[in-house]
Amino acid sequence: MDTAAPPLAFSGTDLRKVYQTGETEVHALRGVDLAIPAGEIVVLLGPSGSGKSTLLNIIGGLDRTTSGTLFYRDLDLAAMDDKALTRFRRANVGFIFQFYNLIPSLTAIENVRLVTDIAEHPMDPAQALALVGLQDRQHHYPAQLSGGEQQRVAVARAVAKQPGVLLCDEPTGALDSATGIRVLETLARANRELGTTVVIITHNAGIAAMAHRVFHFLDGRIARIEVNAAPVDPAGISW
Amino acid sequence: MKALDRKLLRDLWHMRGQALAIAVVLAAATATFVLSMGVHRSLTATRDAYYAQNLFADVFASMTRAPRSVVDRVAAVPGVARVEGSIQQYATLDFADRLAPVRALINSLDERGQSRLNRLVLRSGHLPRAGEPGDVVIDEAFAKANDLRPGATLDALIYGSKERLTVVGIGLAPDYIYALAPGDIIPDDRRFGVLWMGEKALEAATDRTEAINTLSLLLERGASEADVIRKIDAILAPYGGTGAYGRKDHVSHAFLDNELMQLEAMTRVIPPVFLLVSTFLVYIVLGRMIRTERTQIGLIKAFGYSDWAIGWHYLKFALVVAAMATVLGSAAGIWMGRAMTRLYAQYFRFPFLEYHMAPSVFLLAAGLAIGAAALGALGGMRAAVRLAPAVAMSAPPPPVYRPGLTERLGEAAGVSAIGHMILRHIARWPWRSAITVTGVALSMALLFATLQFLDSSRTMLDSFFFRAQRQDLTVTFTEPRAEQALFALAQVPGVIRVEPIRAVPVKLGNANRQERAAIESAMPQSQLTMRIDSDGQVLALPPAGLMLSRQLADKLAVRAGQRVRVELLGGRRPVQFLPVVSVVEEFIGERAYASDRTLEAIARDAAPVGAALLRIDPAQRDRILTELKAMPLVLGVSERDAALQKFEEMIDDNMVTMLVFYIGFASAIAVGVVYNSARILFSERAHELATLRVLGYHRSEVGIVLIGELALLVVLAVPVGCIMGYWLAQLMTAMFSSDLFRLPFAPSRASYGWAALVVLGAGMLTALVVARRVLHLDMVRVLKGRD
Repeated sequence: MDTAAPPLAFSGTDLRKVYQTGETEVHALRGVDLAIPAGEIVVLLGPSGSGKSTLLNIIGGLDRTTSGTLFYRDLDLAAMDDKALTRFRRANVGFIFQFYNLIPSLTAIENVRLVTDIAEHPMDPAQALALVGLQDRQHHYPAQLSGGEQQRVAVARAVAKQPGVLLCDEPTGALDSATGIRVLETLARANRELGTTVVIITHNAGIAAMAHRVFHFLDGRIARIEVNAAPVDPAGISW
Repeated sequence: MKALDRKLLRDLWHMRGQALAIAVVLAAATATFVLSMGVHRSLTATRDAYYAQNLFADVFASMTRAPRSVVDRVAAVPGVARVEGSIQQYATLDFADRLAPVRALINSLDERGQSRLNRLVLRSGHLPRAGEPGDVVIDEAFAKANDLRPGATLDALIYGSKERLTVVGIGLAPDYIYALAPGDIIPDDRRFGVLWMGEKALEAATDRTEAINTLSLLLERGASEADVIRKIDAILAPYGGTGAYGRKDHVSHAFLDNELMQLEAMTRVIPPVFLLVSTFLVYIVLGRMIRTERTQIGLIKAFGYSDWAIGWHYLKFALVVAAMATVLGSAAGIWMGRAMTRLYAQYFRFPFLEYHMAPSVFLLAAGLAIGAAALGALGGMRAAVRLAPAVAMSAPPPPVYRPGLTERLGEAAGVSAIGHMILRHIARWPWRSAITVTGVALSMALLFATLQFLDSSRTMLDSFFFRAQRQDLTVTFTEPRAEQALFALAQVPGVIRVEPIRAVPVKLGNANRQERAAIESAMPQSQLTMRIDSDGQVLALPPAGLMLSRQLADKLAVRAGQRVRVELLGGRRPVQFLPVVSVVEEFIGERAYASDRTLEAIARDAAPVGAALLRIDPAQRDRILTELKAMPLVLGVSERDAALQKFEEMIDDNMVTMLVFYIGFASAIAVGVVYNSARILFSERAHELATLRVLGYHRSEVGIVLIGELALLVVLAVPVGCIMGYWLAQLMTAMFSSDLFRLPFAPSRASYGWAALVVLGAGMLTALVVARRVLHLDMVRVLKGRD
């Protein structure tokens, strides 16, 4: 491990993001240097407004930096136009959000199929649902599923395309501990079995225990990086 | 301003596009209403004032010749208020530079140069002077069409003698608001004019000293027209009276009445279509608005506002839209009304034709707009009033989708996930989807019904000019005993065929129904005139009995096989009963036909030749016209091609103006409906669309979700629109048909096609404009919050 540096999923230098809101400028990122090794679980911790979500959106190709360089493996994200970013998301990124964002008019399996329809090397949608333990609820609509089940569908939808990275913004924020842990276990499993890089934003410091690395955010900068030599299984997380 | 009203203004501003789209559709209702109602009222008021000021008669009669003293006998009939006896004489005018003769109808003016009834309005110049037999006043339209001014001279052939006339004045009279030459179906101001001449001069020119051939009379209030007519017919019978008739059978009055009837029909059919669509639009837009504002409603109620205050708040939204529509629609209605009035001035000769709008028309229009909008607002208001504050402030439950028909159909058809999103959303909101389909279908129906009028007119023209009438020229004679003229016509080099048209004026009756008509005959093997059925079949004249046009048969309530009472007009009045052998589907006028032999039997004599039909060698047309002009017996010559051209001009003038309006209106509906549906769809789905973008769908692919649903609904609207259009067009042709014209219902495939194309085009363009909003979807913000 120490002999050769692991390949990086994301690498960035001096990332800055300035939002113009009315007459005031909001500096969301104030010079972030980033190195996320491929195949790791990284947790972003920090108070609201510290820049976690902005960074996640930027590395996920939903938003652009104001300045700085950013690469996903050897793809220059900073240089991409909207179309290229869409292609990047389509090929490499799986998103999971606090509020699931399922399409209410599509059943569980159809929500997964939404992604497998356009992915390059997708899993079988049924297999993806089996991965999150929902093989029996394939034909249920979101309104017929519990919150935890909905989030697991969202996870299945995210992993079904076999993405290089899974970006999760407060994935357990709306869930109770037992359900939350089930979701985290699915993420850990994807990381373990598929080698997916996982980036998780959370307010729950306990979740940091499952990460290889923890980035502590403060005022638009990474204040501290914690390397966790022995990440624990999500089941062992104290909520 | 109260805070709630401020919210209303902001909401209106925020939804300005949608509010404006509804206002435009509602304005179309107001505009068509103000237009047709306004023109109808203006025209009616103008006509009534003109009739009253110039003493337009109630009853008219003509005869071969009667002594002037008959006027006093008629005046003594109970119920008659005022009588005027005069002379009417057809004459030919010879314009040196014109090939075809020009026909004129000369009316006498009494010795003071004025008449007691149907009074002349002098527009310029002066009345004929006593002792100046050549003085004439000519009608304004004829003067304009031929560029004649006071001082101009006319060479006329009156009653066989040549006269030189001097135009001394230009005028108008209430009995010639619409002036039609005998045998024509459309006014031709260049070839037919009305003249007024001093009584003595016309007496002298027509050899009718102290004699008259026309009577008009005013009835006393409450007098029975039928009674008076019966008594007058008895008085005039010895003088060759052809039967007195009321205003309804007076050509000028009947045409004007026909127009008014059509305007009224328009008021009853068109605005309701727009009103219905507007109600739908308010319903769906306000419904959506209240769903998105449910937390606000809960909050406002929690503050202590009453249910009524909330309901009134949303009703005001509808009322503001209605107010905008009333202003917009009234302005458009006035503008179009002016244009239409100008169009009327071309065909109807009024001394004044003012487009003045009664305030009541605007009030009524505003009332309708407010009513339609308020009706649409009711559903939303009820929902807002019923919301309990606590329930309203919690997030709405997610829309519940359940497997249904679309699933099974979709699965079978191999529909993609995006396809399912579209289909299930339509099924989830069946009412709104149905309203979108209905709205777009109605706009197509309206356009189709308008286009069908073009088809209908063309069919009528085709049937009349290309199938029924195959002659090149129609020659009318100065007097009915023109048997020898037929031979003379046949001798003219270049004339290939001559066929006489014989006609006798009759009164046809069945039980207590009675109609004036002329029974026409043609040669047994006629090649120049045919009776064509609605399905294009040539019907042979029955060897015995009568053939009636559908219109006449309907009015008399007779079917083929029944008998009608036939009363010969003029001279002796033998009454006979003849069987109706067949009924022919004709579009123009009320006609009756019989074979030559039957007609002779009715007339108890050789029936007079009314006109002759000629087929000519087109290369020799000019020479033939010159020769016909020189024949003393020839009163006038109508050319089929000229009439056809005139007719087509009229269709082009009126219909094209109307079509432009209606393409605009139909597009307005389609745009209004699709725009509102698209905006609602977009606001409901912004979250889902952003999710799709996040998942890696391109903008164009995301746009499909929006466009796909709208396209499906708009395409679905096409067959519905065809059916509704078919029905609406049938209703409209029936409502627009009159005694004068029966409009055939003859939609062409092209009309379906054009209507569909315009609506599809307007709908899809609008959808595309809204879909462009996908470009500005803020993925990050949408995903941050919950809805």
